[in-house]
Amino acid sequence: MKKGLLACLIIVIITLMGCSNNSNNNNTASTGNNPAGTKDSAGAGSGPDTSDKADAADNKELIVAGQEIAASLDPVKPLTSSYLRNIGAAEALFKVDAEGKVQPELAESAAEVDPTTWEIKLRPEASFWSGKAVDADAVIASLERSRSLDLQAKPFLEELSFAKKDDYTLQVKTKRSHVQVPLNLSYYQTVIHNAEAKHDAIGTMDLTGMYKVLEFSPKQKMVLARNENYWGEKPVIQRVVYEEISDEQTRVLSVLSGRSHVALNIGTTSLGQLENSEEVSISAAPAANTQTIYLNLRKPQFEDARVRQALSWALNREELVILAAEGESIPVTTWLGSNPAFAEAKNAVYTKFDPDKAAELLDEAGWAQGADGIRHKDGKPLTLRLMTWGGDKALGEALQSQWTRIGVKAEVQHGDYSLIQTARESGDWDASIEAWSTFGDELTLLTGQYAPEGSANYGGYKDAETNQLLARLAEASDGAARHELALQINERVAGQAPVISLFPRPQITAVSGALHGFEDHFRQFENVVNANLTLDSK
Amino acid sequence: MSNANHPISLISGIVVLSLLAILILGAPFLAPYDPVKQNVTERLEKPSMEHPLGTDRFGRDVLSRTLHGGQTTLISSVVALCAALIIGLLVGLTAGMFHGSIIDIILMRLIDVLLSFPFMVLAMVIAALFGTSLIHLLLAVVAVWWVSFARLTRSVVLHAKNETSFAAARVLGATNGAIIFKELLPKAISPVLILATFELGSLILSIVALSFLGLGSQPPAPEWGSMLADGRDHFMQAPHILIGPALFIFLTVLAFNLIGEGLRDRLDPYEKSEL
Amino acid sequence: MYRMLLRKLLEAFITLFCATLIIFTLIRLAPGDPVQLLLGHPGEAALSDKQAYDDRAAGLRAKLGLDQSMIKQYTAWIHKLVQLDLGTSIHTGRAVGAEIAARLPATAMLSAAALLIQAVLGLFFGTVSALKAGKPGDNAIRLVCVALASTPAFVIGLVLLSVFAVTLGAYEISSEAGLSRLWLPALTLGLIGAPQLIRMARANMLAEFGRIYVLSALSRGLGRGRVVKHALRNALLPVITMIALSLTSLISGAVVIESIFSWPGIGKYALDSILLKDYPVIQGYALVMVSLVILIHLCVDVVYALIDPRIHRNREAGAEEHV
Repeated sequence: MKKGLLACLIIVIITLMGCSNNSNNNNTASTGNNPAGTKDSAGAGSGPDTSDKADAADNKELIVAGQEIAASLDPVKPLTSSYLRNIGAAEALFKVDAEGKVQPELAESAAEVDPTTWEIKLRPEASFWSGKAVDADAVIASLERSRSLDLQAKPFLEELSFAKKDDYTLQVKTKRSHVQVPLNLSYYQTVIHNAEAKHDAIGTMDLTGMYKVLEFSPKQKMVLARNENYWGEKPVIQRVVYEEISDEQTRVLSVLSGRSHVALNIGTTSLGQLENSEEVSISAAPAANTQTIYLNLRKPQFEDARVRQALSWALNREELVILAAEGESIPVTTWLGSNPAFAEAKNAVYTKFDPDKAAELLDEAGWAQGADGIRHKDGKPLTLRLMTWGGDKALGEALQSQWTRIGVKAEVQHGDYSLIQTARESGDWDASIEAWSTFGDELTLLTGQYAPEGSANYGGYKDAETNQLLARLAEASDGAARHELALQINERVAGQAPVISLFPRPQITAVSGALHGFEDHFRQFENVVNANLTLDSK
Repeated sequence: MSNANHPISLISGIVVLSLLAILILGAPFLAPYDPVKQNVTERLEKPSMEHPLGTDRFGRDVLSRTLHGGQTTLISSVVALCAALIIGLLVGLTAGMFHGSIIDIILMRLIDVLLSFPFMVLAMVIAALFGTSLIHLLLAVVAVWWVSFARLTRSVVLHAKNETSFAAARVLGATNGAIIFKELLPKAISPVLILATFELGSLILSIVALSFLGLGSQPPAPEWGSMLADGRDHFMQAPHILIGPALFIFLTVLAFNLIGEGLRDRLDPYEKSEL
Repeated sequence: MYRMLLRKLLEAFITLFCATLIIFTLIRLAPGDPVQLLLGHPGEAALSDKQAYDDRAAGLRAKLGLDQSMIKQYTAWIHKLVQLDLGTSIHTGRAVGAEIAARLPATAMLSAAALLIQAVLGLFFGTVSALKAGKPGDNAIRLVCVALASTPAFVIGLVLLSVFAVTLGAYEISSEAGLSRLWLPALTLGLIGAPQLIRMARANMLAEFGRIYVLSALSRGLGRGRVVKHALRNALLPVITMIALSLTSLISGAVVIESIFSWPGIGKYALDSILLKDYPVIQGYALVMVSLVILIHLCVDVVYALIDPRIHRNREAGAEEHV
């Protein structure tokens, strides 16, 4: 009996190993039909010959550990394009550089012909992995496919219509005037893919990037090899492995142990252990988003703007950055302040931590401090229940502690995002934290946040002056004027305090000392791989 | 077969448990600091005279938090256990009393179904889907845990029904309710309580594990499982902040297991698993 | 015999059916809207137009069949299940069945290895402990067992991981399921499950020793070794049952360990999906788990009945295992 059972077990184990090996083999086998041998596209203005550099055995394989990797290969599936772009497989027409400026990528140049028309020149030398040219027809087909199949691409493509002017020139018409078309076409949701190809298997998918997908197990691992026919500067490192390690602690251990070279999305709480390491360095690019407390203005205690302002004055943002972001961020007092282009708004309105001012405002508003330290008005205590999710647990705790000091009875509820959504639908919430991106078209951003119909205007903020300024922004054509108006709106909103801005959510990446040429980027999640990365020999 | 050592495990279990109980219940008086008071200047400090177990990322005293956290963990475990026990007793009594009837069949089927749900799976689904809070976590635990009590009660009842006192009560015309509460309940209660002692240790571990996965209690109230989950982030940098909660969990569960072990030996020298 | 088998099968089916009902209602009762989660990932540009968003949400809801009545949704689900179709993931758009099948080997590999470790530890130390009952050796084993059973699984996992992966560098951290990465999580799981088995094996051995035939065998002067062998054989059956049943707790209990060791099994997949509210995946996962457990229980029952019809009748209430 015992022997029989053991024998069974052994058989099971052996079979299983067989299975897992087989599946690996299948994956590799299906890539065999890639036309790896097609001739080099004769320079065509591409970068220096990399073959001598690549000869060094140490530049063989770069291993990147991410919190999540693609679940599918099709760029129109949610988030897939961001992972593909991150690892160098997919490209869009434009790209945003580390300074926040839009630069051409697959496009050669772009120009505004009139307020509603743009012309985009494409690169004749660029081609898909299959060798197909990236011409106007292919680009239009790709963007149309994204528009119809990727819900998340809609915000960027909704207002645009595309037409072919000649083989390598694209004409873009916009519904609104002065839409920043290159910016819209720089988002990962608009990556260019061969719309005729089937993007469900490695052998048939067709993109343009410097790395080609060689092996893929969804949400586990993606192996890529250098695209020898790449139109631009070819990368030095030959292979890239992109692994999903969803547990943060394990991801940190992975880079500490030398197994991976880059670990993405490191939480601030793990920073301490990386700081002590000599082999691993930390890249903490401040992301262009703002950790923001959204207040529910329909709640009676938040109807009075003075209470909301007091809540903002009472916050010691320096301390919050230390407690909740391990010091890897900077305080930001207004929402747009985290966008590099609006750096002047960083310390506007709430110029310093001022608990006295907060107390004064609360007194004015009629909330008097009782014997227990809690402020009351008409016999009711000043309560606030803050809902947090994801990595904001520590932030919630720190905020709670700070608000308690000025006599607010604050509670924190940490859970998953659906709880916040449910609470918003029922209206039964006081405050929640979210960090929307502050990078993009000013009008879209500010309308989404502060217009009465904006989808991120959770608290029901309705302000005539803000709306009027938004209307003026929609009409403004001149860049400087738009910038000025956006700043005005930002300041007006901060003064009214329907939301309280705290600091940009830091975006931390752990990079092994063996890797050189890594570039910090405020959108690191799609900018890990570049052509100049090199690896040390061990 | 000498059992000389077994009272030792029972006694040592009780001693450890009493010590823990004093420490935990006396936390408001014994804890050196306020468990939720933050102090930015004393973050992640190593154990010292002022902070015997160090401080956490908010500069809060880990010892104080551990002592206070014990209240949350222990009270919630005991509450969950009691709820499971009561449901289990009621279901078991009903099923046993009406053995063979449609009620019994339905209840036993339900028990079979619940038993075929792996515990962690069901608890995870309930706790995560309904939102992460201690209450939901406890509901999840109770939803799974009552089953073993129900089965035990039912089998005790079935045994008891063969006894003369049961037949006598029947003959004397006692109502079903009277039989259940006067005859069957007293018989079922002591084995169920003993089973509960065994189970409390693993129940605490389950609550802590779910809490560790992030399905547990709300900040800033300290709770051992979430203290471990938070401390895990600083595992490499300040492993000492894990020592407090981990040690207390270990000791508490150990105490219950020792008591369970001792009781088991007393009841049944051969440790038959079927009670 | 066949009637018994048939009855067991029927029972298993009824249990499975009830399980589908529970799974379905549980998931639909939960708050949170998968459509909203799918559409809006906060962090990118907010939509300026709420109407467009609502239209889109409604369209997606219709596409996923979430706008229909509960009964319709349930029958549609069952209809698909009968054709062995577990549906497609809302989040990834891939077939749930295939996704689970792709991850099952990793979990099975881990469970099998852990089971092996458990079984070896359990039988060996259980026997030793029973033989030395009351002596220091037995006490030491029992103490270690109680201590091990009192330690949270993830603490063991974390300690082992940091020692072997970081301090010693003997363990490679990646997200792949490979033989070279199997031993540490398997060891962790094995250690966690061992105390129960050791205790069980010990208890059964002691019970056997106490039986009259053993005593009489000893009094007749039979060698100790042969008696032990005999007792071992008789004590083995419940232990093997226990091992089989602990497989069910291994498969599900691996969630924590899989998450710590980044082992690409179904537990980790389920945890991720639960947080994403990916209904079809959670439904599929729960159903597969329940089916596995029912299957294992069924096998144990059948094996029992085959070996000893008497035991079967006694076992009506089932072993007091907790899964």
